[in-house]
This record gives sequence, C-alpha cells and structure tokens, in this order.
Amino acid sequence: MNVLHKKLVRYLRANWGQALAIAAVITCGTATYISLASAHRNLELTRDTYYEKYRLADFFLMFEQAPMTAVFKIEGLDSVHEARGRIVKDVSLDVPGEEEPRTGRMVSMPDNPEPVLNDVALLSGRYFDKSAMNEVIVSEGFAKANHLALGDSIRATIEDSKHTLRIVGLGLSPEYVMMIRSAQELVPSPEKFGILWVSQSFAESAFDMNEACNEIVGTVDGSVPVKTVLDRAEEVLEPYGVYAKLERDDQISARFFADEIAGLAVSAKITPAIFLGVAALILLVLLNRMVRNERTEIGLLKAYGYTNLEVSGYYIQFSLFLAVLGCLGGFVAGELLANAMVKIYVRFYMFPLLRARVYPDILARSMGISIAFALAGALTAARHAARIQPAEAMRIEPPKSGTRTLLERFHAVWRRLSFTWKMIMRNVSRYRVRAGISVFGVMVSAGIMVVGFFTMDAMEFMIDYQFTETQREDVRVALQREMDEHALRDLLRYDAVRAGEPMLQYPFRIKTGWREKEVGVIGIPEDAQLHRLMDQEGRPVSVGASGIVLSDRLARELQVGPGATLVLEPLRGLGENEKEVTVRQVVSQYLGSSAYMNIHALSRLLDESFALNTALLQTHAGEARELSTALKDIRGIAAVELKEDMLANITRELQDSMAISNTFLLVFSGVIAFAIIYNATIVSLEERKRELASLRVLGFSKGEVGAIVYRENFLLAAAGGMLGLPFGMALCKLLVYAYDTELYRLPFHIEMSTFVWTVVMTAVFVSLANLAARRRIHQLDVVDVLKSRE
Amino acid sequence: MGGRGVGEYTAVPGGIQETGRFERGPMADNAQEVALFRVEGLTKNYPMGEVTVHALRGVSLEVSAGEFLVILGPSGSGKSTLLNIIGGIDSPTDGRVFFRDEELSRYSESQLTRYRRRHIGFVFQFYNLMPNLTAQENVEMATEISVSPMDSREALRLVGLEARRDHFPSQLSGGEQQRVAIARAVAKQPEILLCDEPTGALDFETGKVVLEMLRHINEATGTTVIVITHNAAIGGMAHRVIRMMDGHVREIIENAERLTPSEIEW
Ligand SMILES: Nc1ncnc2c1ncn2[C@@H]1O[C@H](COP(=O)(O)OP(=O)(O)OP(=O)(O)O)[C@@H](O)[C@H]1O
Ligand SMILES: [Mg+2]
Repeated sequence: MNVLHKKLVRYLRANWGQALAIAAVITCGTATYISLASAHRNLELTRDTYYEKYRLADFFLMFEQAPMTAVFKIEGLDSVHEARGRIVKDVSLDVPGEEEPRTGRMVSMPDNPEPVLNDVALLSGRYFDKSAMNEVIVSEGFAKANHLALGDSIRATIEDSKHTLRIVGLGLSPEYVMMIRSAQELVPSPEKFGILWVSQSFAESAFDMNEACNEIVGTVDGSVPVKTVLDRAEEVLEPYGVYAKLERDDQISARFFADEIAGLAVSAKITPAIFLGVAALILLVLLNRMVRNERTEIGLLKAYGYTNLEVSGYYIQFSLFLAVLGCLGGFVAGELLANAMVKIYVRFYMFPLLRARVYPDILARSMGISIAFALAGALTAARHAARIQPAEAMRIEPPKSGTRTLLERFHAVWRRLSFTWKMIMRNVSRYRVRAGISVFGVMVSAGIMVVGFFTMDAMEFMIDYQFTETQREDVRVALQREMDEHALRDLLRYDAVRAGEPMLQYPFRIKTGWREKEVGVIGIPEDAQLHRLMDQEGRPVSVGASGIVLSDRLARELQVGPGATLVLEPLRGLGENEKEVTVRQVVSQYLGSSAYMNIHALSRLLDESFALNTALLQTHAGEARELSTALKDIRGIAAVELKEDMLANITRELQDSMAISNTFLLVFSGVIAFAIIYNATIVSLEERKRELASLRVLGFSKGEVGAIVYRENFLLAAAGGMLGLPFGMALCKLLVYAYDTELYRLPFHIEMSTFVWTVVMTAVFVSLANLAARRRIHQLDVVDVLKSRE
Repeated sequence: MGGRGVGEYTAVPGGIQETGRFERGPMADNAQEVALFRVEGLTKNYPMGEVTVHALRGVSLEVSAGEFLVILGPSGSGKSTLLNIIGGIDSPTDGRVFFRDEELSRYSESQLTRYRRRHIGFVFQFYNLMPNLTAQENVEMATEISVSPMDSREALRLVGLEARRDHFPSQLSGGEQQRVAIARAVAKQPEILLCDEPTGALDFETGKVVLEMLRHINEATGTTVIVITHNAAIGGMAHRVIRMMDGHVREIIENAERLTPSEIEW
C-alpha cells in the first residue's frame, strides 16, 4: 500500500458516513439493475423454453363448430406447418366442500399422449386412460386453491347434464401462464377458474360434437405473415362462424406475459440509470470539493514529481472504491430483490420451471455500469486535479469574493432577513451548482415517491371505477347461450334478488374505412343501473336507443368520434349481415376495451328481437353468496360470479405485490434524498468550517451554527420537493402512457394524500440527513480550524 | 545570541548525525567550476487583464553544483518565480534554462515531472505537509517515487524527529513541521534542494536550527542548496548571495568567508 492509498483509507475512515451514503445510492442502482435484468432474463428464458417444449401455437382460430376435416384445410394453407382441432368450452364446476360454483375451461386433448400443440405439462399423476372416459387433468393452481388431490372427483355441468370427473393428473400449460378468463380480471383467481384437460372422446360425446371441434390452433413456418394466414383461414372456415382469430401475441396469457417482459426490459434500463446518475452527481460534488480543498496538497505532490496520472488517480480510485463497494452491496440486495420478484411472479404466473438464477454476466455488467457512472462523476475532479499547476497551487489563494444574491436587489426583503438567513442566501448563491444538484436530487427522490404512491392511487381508482362505479351488480350470471327475457324473469323470482338487468355480450368485427377491429360489443338497457357508463369527466352516460358507444381507447384506435358511421359484422352464428351503426359517444374505460349498445338494438343486429346471455343481479344485503350457491345447479347457467370475491381477490393480489415494490421505491428515494443532502452538508461544512468556527468564537452556540446548516438544507429540500411534485406527476404521465396496453390502461389519478405523504417523507429524509450531520457540526474543533492555514 | 559553536545544533533532540549514506563529499572549494544551472535572459509575465505583471525581466545566472546559494529581495521581486522555474514547477515566458546540458525550458510537462522526481527536493514556507498523513508517511510520500531514497525513519532521525514519526502534522509545532518537510526533501537524496523561505514562519531560534540543517546537508553531501529569504543576514552563510529587485538580479555577492548560522544576528 503506497502513501496515497493510506491517505485514501484515512479519508474514508474519517468520512465513512459520506462514503456509505454514496455507496448506498450505487447499491440501489446496481440492485435494481441486477434484479430487473435477472427477472427479465429469467422470464424470457422460462417463456422461450416453456413455449418451445410444450409447443405453444402461433395462431388460434375460434368458431362455432366445424368438422375435424376442417383441420386438414387449414394445414393445407401456405406457410401453415401444423394444425390441431380441439374443443374448448367453459363449464360450471361443483367442487366438493365448496359452496359457490367454479368455472372450468374444458380443453380437449388427444386420447393418447402425444406431443401436440399447446401440450399439457404434467406435474403429477398420469395421462388419461384409454378406456376410462371421465378422467381429467386439472390445472395445478386450481387444484391447490380448492384442496383437490389426485383421485378426487369434481362434478361438471355440461350441456345441462352432470358428469363426475376423476382427477388423474395435475398440469400446467404454456397457454395459461397468466390464468385469467378475460382482460377485465386483471389478476388470476386460481380458486375460481381452472383448466380441465379431458380426452377428445369425452369432449366430443359430452358436448355432442362428434368428429368436430370449435378451435383450431396451429404453427407457421414464417414464409407468410401470420396475419395473412389468419385471413385465409377465416375464409376457409367461413361456413363455421369464426368469431375470433388470434396471433400468439394477442392471446391473453401470452400478451400479459410479453408485456411484463417488455416492461422489465425498459425498467432495467431506466431505473438503475436514475440511481447511478444521482450517485455520479454526488460524487461530482464531493470530489470537486476535495480537489479544491486539497489544492496545495496536489501542488505539493506534483512539485515532488508525482505525475498527473498518479494524482488524478487518487480521485479516480476514490470513486472506483465506492463503485465497487456499492456494487458488492448491490449484488446482495439485487439477489434478495430478484428473489422477492420471483415470489410475485409465481403468484401471477404459472410456470412448470421458473428459473431463478444468478447470472454472472449480469453481475459483471452491473459492476461495469456502476464503475462507468462513478468514473463519469469523478472525471471533472480528475481533470481539475490534473490541471492544477504546482507553482500556482503553492501560492496563497485569494479569498472567495462574496457575491451579491438576487434577493439583495430587493432591499425591502433583504433588510428583513435575519443574519442567519442572509448567510444561507449568500451561501446558496455562492455555490449555485451544488445547491442546484441538491435541489435536483431531492426532486428526483420526491418524484420517485410520487410515482410509488401514484401506482396505488391509480390501481385503487381503477378498481373502484370498474367494480364500484361501472359494475354495480352483486352477482353476474353467465348463460350458456343467448336466451330471451324469460331467463331473466326466472332469475328475478329468487327471493334474494332485489333487481336484475339483462346484458348481451357478442363479438363483432367493427370496420371503418380500411381499419377494422374485433371487439366484444356489450348490450345493456337504455336506463341501465347495474352497468353504468361514464364519460371522461365521470358523468353517467346512457347508451341511448340506438347508435354505439365506444371506449376511449377503441375510439382512438379506430380514429373515429361521435357521428362517425361504423360497419358491424357479427362474428358468431347469429345475425347474417353487416349493419351500419353511428357512434353516439365515447366513454372512459380502464380495463379492457369495449363497445356498448342498447340491448334491443344489439339484438336486432343479430336478427333477434331481444336476447341476453348474461344477467346482472343485485341482491339484498348479505344474500349474494347464498344466491350464487343456489344458482350453480341451474340448467343453462354457465357461470356465476360473486363480485365481492372478485374484488377481494384483485385487491389482495395487487396490494401484496404493490406493497413490496412500493417499499423498495420508498427506501430507494429515501436513500437518494438522504445521500444527496447529507453529502452536500458535509461538503459545505468542510468548506465553511472557518466561517462557522468564527461564528462560534463570536459567541454563537453549536445549535445556532447548526441551524444555519439545517435551515439551508430545508430550504433546498423544500425547493426540491416543490419541483419533485410536478416532476413526479410528469413521471406518472409517462407511466400512464407506457402502460396503455390492449389489456388495461392506468388512470392518471393522483390523490392529494400522495402529495402530502411525499412532502412528509421528504421532510423525514432531510431531517435524518441533518441528524447525521449534527455529529460533524458538534465536533467542529474551533481552535484547530482557526489555527490551521487555509 | 552568539556564543554557541558549530555542532551545538544538537539542541535538536537526536541531533543531526552523519549517516554514511551521503557519498558525495564537500565541494565548496571547486564549486564554481561545474555549471549545474545556466539561466539566460529569463522573463516571466503574468497577463492580468489590462495590466501585465512582469515577475522576471531578463534574469541571467549560473549555479554550480554543490553551491549554497541565497536569494534575497523584497516581496514581489520575483524570487519564488525564479526558484519555481529552476525547480521545474513553472515555465518561463521567454529565455532559457539549462540543467547541465539539457534545456529545461523546452521540457514537456511529463519531462519536467520526471526531472522533479529525480533531482529536486522542495521545502516551502508553510511546510505543506499532507494533513492526514503521519510524519513518516509524509516522508514516504517523497521516498516512494525516488530512485535511491534514504530510509524514511533515518531521514526523520536526521532532523531529530524519529520519535514523532507517527504523529500527524496537527500534532506538531510549526518548527517541527518544517523539520519534517526538510526530512521529506532530504530523504529523496536530491541533487538540488530548493527552499522558499524555509524560516519564514519560524521564530528566530527554530529558524537557526533549520538553517543549520540545510548548511550541514550542503556540506556533508554536496547537495546544491538554494534558499530564498527576506532576511539579508542569512546571506552570510552562503557561498554566494543573489539580490533581486523588481524582476532583475541586482547584484551577486561572493562571500569570502561564510558564517555559521549561529553567528548570524537578526
Ligand atoms: N500566478 C500569478 N499570477 C499573477 N501574478 C503573479 C503570479 N505569480 C506571481 N505573480 C506576481 O509576480 C511577481 C513576483 O512574484 P514572486 O512570487 O516571484 O515574488 P517573491 O519575490 O517570491 O515575493 P514574496 O517575497 O512576497 O514571496 C509578484 O508581483 C506577484 O504578484
Ligand atoms: Mg515568494
């Protein structure tokens, strides 16, 4: 160890608080990078191997019913590599010991195990036996949530008849990594919804679909765009009522999963850059001050023949040391964080094999990145050090000229300031860059906090909007097919039911000019009370007697507004012809993207006078659960959903995962605010110790001297905090923009409490920094300072 | 304050001892024969906005190896500037400086650095010790980058501060700090020792001790010593005294007889 190393060690030992604060910011940066990049890698690798091994299809075609021979026609299309026909239908399940009915998605599989498209990953048990018809493989999450084990039986209501199915295996599928029914659900509810894989023979007989299928999935060789293949396939399947054609990317599970992975890739770039950028700024302030302070020492070293490289190297080593220290902390924190993320992921996503690994190359890269940022922060200081001329440095530096502050021009104000405040204002304007960096740091910190609190606000708002303001029913009954008003009347007869409304959901292709989109159109009564629409200002909107109401996203995608004419083509069996409809209004929708019409008008589009396939029921207080139990055995009912449960599930899942991420955001923003303020304080103390010691000599108490420093910090923090609120809002806007996906978009809604909390927490962090700096202020040795030559 | 003979400088604890490591013998007699430095028409200007400060206005001078040279002159006369240029930490505006047959004034920055590293030891008025290094480490700062340095403890013993080697500068008095600074300069075993007002911040007695040390080093090792001072009396102990005034060399006095520091009165 040479002398300069000793000097470095001594400095670090004397200023360990500062060193640790900077290292902590670097730790935050590398930890976020490592965790996000590892999570990204984990998920991507998992997805790729999973999709490949269990052969997730490239396209999905859904239709009413077609003979199995249609599969050969699809296979004959250009570029189609392989295709498989299957039966997929939702059925109502009766789980022993559970009151409410569950929904099972029945998916047919070949009678004999073979590596088909969208294969099942069998986790335990076995495949169906050829001879036994009623065997079923159940998705693992559903089985777990309902305490079902191999050998147990469940009862399914299929086409109005009851079947008892024996569980022979537990499995997963690449098709249902995110196991939700529709985009409206947002989070999976494993106890309410599961997949049942049954043999083809069983499905054909149970659904009365001999040698037929209602879904074809396939792979392509890539010679023709998938879109084109889907268009041709639709023509081929025209007679069978195609109502949906999806590329893999549009499939709901794949979509959610892909969005998550893409989001991680972006976050892995942005978040660490924020932290490391802040760390670089702090280093910049600190090292520049060190070089200025150590001017004569640098001159001396040079006079003795130390080279520029050796002298600058000292400052470079200083930042390198902090980068490495911070990064080592980041390795630990990053892996902890990565594990926490895996825990969230296994909650939302179902994989047979989630990789959770330490990737040496990611660690190496994180080290490289933090070193790069630290060097960037050290660069100006190193350059200054190199530029110092020894002869000049050994001369006594003229005292810094006092600068007039802007405020001084306003005599009236300036005169009223106390001496303390005058000193503070002078100091702030003397070290404008450093003050600016402090303000900036606090701004970033406050901005991050705003974002953290905002995500909660937005989710709460979105959930409230969807499940309290929009969906006002207690129980939602999905019928097996379109029925007339008798169905509703039958339901209204139950004592528990207070009110009920019909709903008709039907898939259409909406066209305008060359734009077209497949959309679920929802029909509701003109005076609907149980499903309310609202415009952008939150005012209730009626669907009217005619015309169509579009969600804002849909209107944007189709680039139409009120008054425009759309062509609607029904995508299932009902309704023969395309019909024109006028856009009536645009409403606000956060979950999913739908279109609404008067239920009568919508029925007419399907050549019916009145049809419904969903009933919304409001019950007397506390009777919803009973009602749903009572309804589960009724013929013609596909599914009964209790809103209460759904809401509880969503709230719980989101709050748990958000609590984790917000804790981290809060800690991170605290580290930033603390580090930047603490560091600036120490730097300023070091620089002004003569001034402050003189004040002590003049009779100022330690507390009074401290007050000058503390108040300056609060002044800068207040400025930073004030800027942080709009900065945070801008970040939130960015987030809203980034998360505007097919599936959901975040409302730009920030509660007042978010701002209050941000201000409070910023004050707390700054107070902590002041508290930490207190020791140094109180240790200020007056005699020592005044004795030494400046 | 007279009356003390040569050698009584051992008032410094430990005293100065011959170490045997100094191999070059005294060169006082034939000092003028080898030109160590040759300075020709040296000027140094500092343009300061409207006015230009002329720190040196054409200085010519020769310094011999083994010489003890004192530079006298009022404040602002250009003494430090001249010394800094000779020491390779500053460069002239015009004129030439030769170190033996090498032209210093044409050296690049890195050549100057190497030159300082090999040949020069500096002692400054305000000691300029590194505050967070101990006395010994301050000496090591110099020995570490020297070609054939003295042992750092030995250098401290030379200035009588071996016992204080683990003390930090703030724990030493001004005179002790200056002695550490001298130990640091000497420990390099440089050919030239450049001292800019080494006694400026010291009291009379301490100043004498420091001067005595410098004289001893010059005599014992043949190290060329150049000392800047305000104090004309110190000139008495030099081989030659250079008087500067307003950027010029006013006169050069050769002392036929040299005084010992203890004989100097001021
Ligand atoms: N870096 C500089 N910028 C401007 N002027 C300078 C600079 N260095 C020296 N000078 C000026 O050059 C002149 C000579 O300075 P120098 O330091 O050589 O004087 P000096 O003889 O050493 O004085 P002192 O005895 O006070 O140390 C002075 O007028 C000084 O102000
Ligand atoms: Mg001078």
